[in-house]
Amino acid sequence: MSVKYIPVQWNRNKWLYDAVMLAGVFAFLWIFLKWTPEATGHTRPVSPQTHNARAFGACAFVMLTIILCIGPLARLDTRFLPLLYNRRHFGVMTAAVAMTHAGYVLGWYFAFSSTPRMEGLLSANTSYFQVAGFPFELFGLFSLICLLLLAATSHDFWLKFLTAPVWKRLHYLIYPAYAALVGHVAWGILQDQQVDGVTALFIGGPLVVAGLHVAAVWHGWRAADHKTAAGDWVAIGEVGEIDEGRAKIAELPSGERVAVFLHEGKLSAISNACAHQNGPLGEGRIIACLVTCPWHGFQYDVRTGRSPAPFTEKIPTYALRLAGNVIEVNPKPNPPGTPVDPVAVP
Amino acid sequence: MASTLVFVGEVWLWIGAAVSVIFLTIGIDRIDEDAQGTYLFRPLLIPGILLIWPMVLWRWAEIERKGEVTLARYRPVRKSYPVAAILMSGLICLFLMSGWSARQTWPADVPAVQLAEPE
Repeated sequence: MSVKYIPVQWNRNKWLYDAVMLAGVFAFLWIFLKWTPEATGHTRPVSPQTHNARAFGACAFVMLTIILCIGPLARLDTRFLPLLYNRRHFGVMTAAVAMTHAGYVLGWYFAFSSTPRMEGLLSANTSYFQVAGFPFELFGLFSLICLLLLAATSHDFWLKFLTAPVWKRLHYLIYPAYAALVGHVAWGILQDQQVDGVTALFIGGPLVVAGLHVAAVWHGWRAADHKTAAGDWVAIGEVGEIDEGRAKIAELPSGERVAVFLHEGKLSAISNACAHQNGPLGEGRIIACLVTCPWHGFQYDVRTGRSPAPFTEKIPTYALRLAGNVIEVNPKPNPPGTPVDPVAVP
Repeated sequence: MASTLVFVGEVWLWIGAAVSVIFLTIGIDRIDEDAQGTYLFRPLLIPGILLIWPMVLWRWAEIERKGEVTLARYRPVRKSYPVAAILMSGLICLFLMSGWSARQTWPADVPAVQLAEPE
């Protein structure tokens, strides 16, 4: 949160997360390189450099597939939310593994001619108008550049500097990056892949990713409570719909989402978007007047939209009123951090 | 063409290096109070500045001109997600189907087909 920047804000959970992730990477590489070559498609002899390139490439593919599964899984089932936490470290590690793969490829396939390696990569194959034989390396290069860009802009400074909406738009590159990676694999190694297990991984992984994202889109569309304008105030539901310490999320006519919380018998309305990464605050729970963002743990006082000192994050608040049992929200947000008196529920 | 692309990439990175020197020594202290007096994290920003230096210059100028807080900062880009997710899913299916159909040994081993005469 908004204190002086440090290189990495470590805590016990992040150490644990990273330890599990690193162990997984080493285990994958060890299995791919040392264990059952038949199961990993290396029944035919290949050079150690090729073997290493394939191991790191497959590892990056699996890592990115897992990363792309975490978001929709957390949307579909809140039990997966802990995986979302610290996902940035997962992304940085994936970029490093992918870079190693690219290093092995450039250092082997493009190392023995007078043409500089990068020029060789870009000019060795120009069969752009056919699938079989297409220079699939270009898909991999595009994906790698995206991964490096995302990893390089993963520090919290970038979030604050670019603002969360711009940062999120930039990080939407993860989607074309993964699609390009699937192209890299489908038009590359899959053309020659003989072993069913790895082939199933390369085909099944992307299909799971696509299925989960389509399901998450459908789930989000059904769950959103779309409101239409009805005068100056917008009715977002009845008092009985909100449990103590929880919120009801509603989409205002402007497209913004408001989270109306019930705390100690009083209602407060704040923006549903966390100032950090626009996480869904309305899915968080109130403890001592503070709602905790389920994505990364940022906290706000629901009565003021402000983070507790020494932090300085602020989010917009909304005025609300009761018309009988119906909760009505003024759709015009207050400036971030504006205190609003909670409305007592009769 | 390939050599031109590589040259443009190198120039891009060199400009980024110059921007990172100026931004990390002068700009960052002017536009972000959380960065003032802290230096250890700054080298971590260099790769990002190398890659998106035009965006860095744009945001730096914008913050100098307007100040920091705007309501737009709290407007999530949620509406873009369904489009991005559906497009990605469609591309995934397209790549898998086209790659699958182009395989020369799928579903069972068949003799390889020569695509073109060697040059």
